Amino acid sequence: MQIAVSGGKGGTGKSTVAINLAIALREYFDLALADLDVEAPNDHILLGVELQNEEPVHMFMPRFDYSKCIKCRKCAEVCEENAIITMRDGTPFLMPTLCSGCRACEIVCPVTGAILGGEKLMGHTYLTETPYGSPLVTGKLLEGEERAMPIVTAAKKRAKTLNKELLLVDTAAGTSNTVSKALEDSKLLIAVTEPTPLGLHDLTLILELAKLMGIEAWVVVNRADIGEKKRVEEIVQKYNAEIIGEIPYSEAIIQSYVKGEPIILTDKKEAKIFKGLAERVASYLG
Amino acid sequence: MQIAIASGKGGVGKSSVAASLIYLLKDEYSLIAVDADADAPNLDLLFGVERWEEEKELIGAKVARINTSTCIRCGICAERCPYDCIKIVDGNYVVNELTCEGCGVCKLVCPVEGVITLEEVRSGIVRKTTTKYGFPLISAQLDVGRPNSGKLVTEEKEWAKRIMKEKGIEHMIVDSAAGIGCQVIASLGGADVAILVAEPTPASLSDVKRVYKVVQHFREPAYLIINKADLNPGFKGLYEFAEEEGIPIIGEIPYDRALPKSMVMLKPVVEVFPDSKASIVLKEIAEVVKEEILK
Repeated sequence: MQIAVSGGKGGTGKSTVAINLAIALREYFDLALADLDVEAPNDHILLGVELQNEEPVHMFMPRFDYSKCIKCRKCAEVCEENAIITMRDGTPFLMPTLCSGCRACEIVCPVTGAILGGEKLMGHTYLTETPYGSPLVTGKLLEGEERAMPIVTAAKKRAKTLNKELLLVDTAAGTSNTVSKALEDSKLLIAVTEPTPLGLHDLTLILELAKLMGIEAWVVVNRADIGEKKRVEEIVQKYNAEIIGEIPYSEAIIQSYVKGEPIILTDKKEAKIFKGLAERVASYLG
Repeated sequence: MQIAIASGKGGVGKSSVAASLIYLLKDEYSLIAVDADADAPNLDLLFGVERWEEEKELIGAKVARINTSTCIRCGICAERCPYDCIKIVDGNYVVNELTCEGCGVCKLVCPVEGVITLEEVRSGIVRKTTTKYGFPLISAQLDVGRPNSGKLVTEEKEWAKRIMKEKGIEHMIVDSAAGIGCQVIASLGGADVAILVAEPTPASLSDVKRVYKVVQHFREPAYLIINKADLNPGFKGLYEFAEEEGIPIIGEIPYDRALPKSMVMLKPVVEVFPDSKASIVLKEIAEVVKEEILK
């Protein structure tokens, strides 16, 4: 079973909700947390742990054996990313940053061995034991690499092999296809938003994505005391979602964030909010 | 000159800083603003844009579709899809269009001609307007579930360059997306200077270090602005990072409720609360930008 924490805009508190919820849900499930915000993974920092068990994520990249290449240009023609250019005589060249590693060139190449399987390092996945009983899987894109999708896919795969009763995924901001990839197979989406016009704009988009994917959506309003909560309610109603939690602007949460000590483990009043949230999630998932 | 504002991490105040700097520079300099966060654009909201003068659909994304009536259900497409986007739904192989990257491998490996097609779909929209402050703004919105390929950002910058040429505008200020992926690379590529915004938290430090590596890749000079500078007094990480890398810190904006308030009011903080603590520092930063960068 899988659930996801997401929420349009960056900085709304996705990771804060994800890590605290993950710890609170230990009472109900044997679970793993997956940080799929591979461009800016931060769950380990918030949990105060160092990433462990690094595994590289390699991507296929064609290498041409020019002694065998017949310069037919098929590889260049099939490449949807235009990553292969050809010289006037048909000799192919690869522009590595554009290559998506899909292997289409290799599939169409009529000469066995003319395209060799090269590899390119795209980033890493990590499997980190936490002091909180549930492991954390993290995907981290290498700086300078453009494609997040292979890392999201690899991290999710690694998380799934743990075979936990529950997988809680924390997604990147926005609603691009890497976010859909992270959300895929979720039974429930918890969208974190702020009641500001910018937050509302992004909330609408993530709820739209949940609707398209047929995922039940709940909303947690962070910094609920700034802005207009009424507008959040209107949007939530429109998408048949439900507001299931409100977190006030909180110095205590900021401090816990800064120190890497999850607030759920304290006796502060904010901890109760996450405990309540976990209870709702647990009873929904049954 | 092309200035890119980036942060690696979302929510550290990049757009608020960008909006305020643009607001403070607009009278003295001819500039165009580009909102390169196609996933969650918000400069238009902060500059009170109510209508777009011109919109352009960007058809660029491709998605695969499987004709279930001619499909022989061999499953080779699902096996070979590099991104695991083909699943069995009610007995049929179906492409999840919201995760498909449009590479066409499924079509190539399908043994039956014509079962799988690659269809062009809209990836988003690029749009242009003149703000009520007089400078033009280019913005984009990625469609839900489409690959954020950076092509939208490239298109935005191309459009901005045309307008600069037509109108003799000298400077482009690009508010880039969070993260370090293709849209950020497209934002930073071709910029003359990068202004990085970070907050004094370990998460923000980690992310700004990552985006700085991308900046270095382009060999662009970088400057750092620390937002919510007094949020976390004991935290020295940002200063150490700036010193080690030789990045000048051009301003430390204190945490100020005027900032979130101005966001709710959808105005640059320097416009609505010009005397607030944050605005005073932002004005100092604008002076440094004028003297050091736009000189």
